[in-house]
Amino acid sequence: MITVSNLTKSYGKNRGVNDISFSVPEGQIVGFLGPNGAGKTTTMNIITGYLSADTGKVEIAGIDMQKTPIEAKRHIGYLPEQPPLYHAMTVNEYLDFVYDLKEIKIDDRKSHISEICGNLGLADVRSRVIGHLSKGYKQRVGFAQALLGDPDVLILDEPTIGLDPRQIVEIRNVIKEMGKQRTIILSTHILPEVSAVCERVLVISNGVIVADDNPENLTSNLKGNRTQIIRVAGSSDEVQTLISNISGVSSVKPLGKMEPESIDFLVENESGVDIRKPLFYELSKAGYPLLMLRPQNDSLEDIFLQLTEEGK
Amino acid sequence: MQAIFKRDFGAYFTSAIGYVYISSYILVLNLYFYLVNILGASMSLAGIFSFMLLVMMFVTPILTMRVFSEDFKQKTDQLLLTAPVTSTAIVLGKFFSSLAVFGCLLALTILWPIALYIFGGFNLDEVVGNYIGIISIGAAYISIGVFVSAMTENQVIAAIGSLAIFIALYILEIVALFFYASGVLPTFIMRIFMFISIFGRYSDITRGLLALDTIVFFVSVCAFFLFLTTRVIEKRRKG
Repeated sequence: MITVSNLTKSYGKNRGVNDISFSVPEGQIVGFLGPNGAGKTTTMNIITGYLSADTGKVEIAGIDMQKTPIEAKRHIGYLPEQPPLYHAMTVNEYLDFVYDLKEIKIDDRKSHISEICGNLGLADVRSRVIGHLSKGYKQRVGFAQALLGDPDVLILDEPTIGLDPRQIVEIRNVIKEMGKQRTIILSTHILPEVSAVCERVLVISNGVIVADDNPENLTSNLKGNRTQIIRVAGSSDEVQTLISNISGVSSVKPLGKMEPESIDFLVENESGVDIRKPLFYELSKAGYPLLMLRPQNDSLEDIFLQLTEEGK
Repeated sequence: MQAIFKRDFGAYFTSAIGYVYISSYILVLNLYFYLVNILGASMSLAGIFSFMLLVMMFVTPILTMRVFSEDFKQKTDQLLLTAPVTSTAIVLGKFFSSLAVFGCLLALTILWPIALYIFGGFNLDEVVGNYIGIISIGAAYISIGVFVSAMTENQVIAAIGSLAIFIALYILEIVALFFYASGVLPTFIMRIFMFISIFGRYSDITRGLLALDTIVFFVSVCAFFLFLTTRVIEKRRKG
């Protein structure tokens, strides 16, 4: 549905995007992950035809963005980083304007706009002036604008930024719902968002794609060793020696006292070995009760740091 | 194009700008009409149209400063440029919305010939000629203002920039005339100046000479600057 080949874009001497290629099949939700300034927004701006690339090609539904931009743009709904809103207009006026601007050919304008407003929880604010709305509502109006005309492709630049936690969950659900019939690229630097919403992750760093996989694979492929944080009631040195003697454990690091009369350790094991059971039995045999065992599951964050550091 | 025209035209009147432009302009013009045509008992509209042209230099920037600058600032250009419309359609939609506000102002000035008609009589050729002339020159001015506003996201710079261009064009003619009169400027260069001279051409119109080449000239100026504006917009996309 979206094919990007050999995209390069420079700003002066800096390469904003450097020879990026990927394609997204119909109906896939792709997360564009990367630190600030990695080239996410630039890439999205090129895909939507807002910027032109120095070299390379973008095809939307087989239509070349460079050669026939008008036709290609009909397939895209775009929510930029800052929603493109006219603050003096009411929500209704604005959506009416966008409907005309995009030359949408859905017969029933009223029910189409109402349906989108309903899905996004905008029904109550439709007659209010956009400038007076809260940030969360503005973001949703921007979202509504992108959804007008039922485009096949949605490009969302940090769609949940500035929303409160409840709204974030709502918007994510909307995105997932939309993704059933549409192809979506969304950018974010919030990692849980990727695992929550996306089927595939493109990690971009310094204008280059450094990883392209689904979130689960990305986690298991790149993370050979698993780590657990454990809390044990006992003295530091003895417990450390005890744990490091268990077969399969590759390293033990004391983390300090988090709770009275106990000590926390970071235990790393060799890949493919489950050390939880031996750990439990050994500690209990030696009379050191195990108070907590928690696998470190923020591993996507580690991977992200690992990948983007490598890129530098 | 229609959607953009409608939005921009409406925006002039949801903000204060449309009202400020029309009320300040019409106030000054009506004052002139009162002093010259009523107190001075003049039946000619030539003077007030020349005066209108002079004031136009100062009020047109109010009209055009926000045209593109505001979109760039608010990032709404991202909506316009990623919508399935050409940059020509965007430029034309915005240009015609400004021209339409100018048209609203002109509609109010219809009272002048009506007043003259009721209280004496007036020269129809002069009135028609002046209206056609002022519309074409207004369009040329607005196209220059639109062009300047496409080059900056700062409305103040857009306003001062177009004001500077208008005043420069005005002064250039006076300076050229001065040097020509003192024999410094060769005749063929003066001819070029007279050809591109907005005010020189306009004085033909106020005298009642509505030459086709003058109208063609203003329409060409307008087309030229609108074309340049689309190039500026395209250039921005290249980052």
